[in-house]
Amino acid sequence: MSEKRDGTDNARRDFLKLAGLTAVTGGALAATGESAEACAAHEKAQTSYKESEHVKTYYKLARF
Amino acid sequence: MGKATALLQSDDGIAEEDVLRANLYRLLAHVLRDAPQQADLDMFAAMGGDQTPIGEAVGALARIASSTRPETVEREYHNLFIGLGRGELVPYGSYYLTGFLNEKPLARLRSDMSRLGIERRAEVREPEDHIAAECEMMAGLILGDFGEAASLAEQRDFFKAHLAPWARHFFTDLEGARSSVFYAGVGRLGSAFMRVEDEAFAML
Repeated sequence: MSEKRDGTDNARRDFLKLAGLTAVTGGALAATGESAEACAAHEKAQTSYKESEHVKTYYKLARF
Repeated sequence: MGKATALLQSDDGIAEEDVLRANLYRLLAHVLRDAPQQADLDMFAAMGGDQTPIGEAVGALARIASSTRPETVEREYHNLFIGLGRGELVPYGSYYLTGFLNEKPLARLRSDMSRLGIERRAEVREPEDHIAAECEMMAGLILGDFGEAASLAEQRDFFKAHLAPWARHFFTDLEGARSSVFYAGVGRLGSAFMRVEDEAFAML
């Protein structure tokens, strides 16, 4: 994160502020604090993941 | 789905804007992975829009969410992504870019995932270039879920390589899909966000 505090980045941050990201704040922060549902870092303990309907569609498309 | 858990905090020196980006990625992933439940719809309905590009899309989605029922959106999700044989849309990068699943875009993604220390959970069998998975990866890179938080340059490179080539196109298709109602709002929000991300990364 070393390059995060220079002038270029200030411009980027101002741009992001004006883009309206804050409109998503409250609810999204509350409901999506769960960690990524299907991806994980190497070597971390995994929690359960519900097999998704995508898998069935995927196999159909892949002609398995 | 739908469970409210701990608030994300802007600790670890991650700037507020980046935490908000990660949250929006995660929010999109959440509803693209599975149809929203009542708690999710309530959450969207409670959001207030404003006159910004993302704020306008959020306001539109909030209005749709307030009149959407879980059973209806479940059916909508099914028609969009699952269908009989296939859904209206096939939300995989490789399919979008080549017309086939499991092509080079997926191989390139897997190579980058390996380099960045990201792996698919063992129980997940769908390919990693699903739009929800790619959004989750962006969120994880921003927040440091896979080790150290990725630098903005690393985030940009990942975005340019894996989302920029197709994600906005996908979200635009989602916005205009025949079956889309709630997901038209999701598509509009995703499309607005992808444009913002693209322009913001160009400022680095």
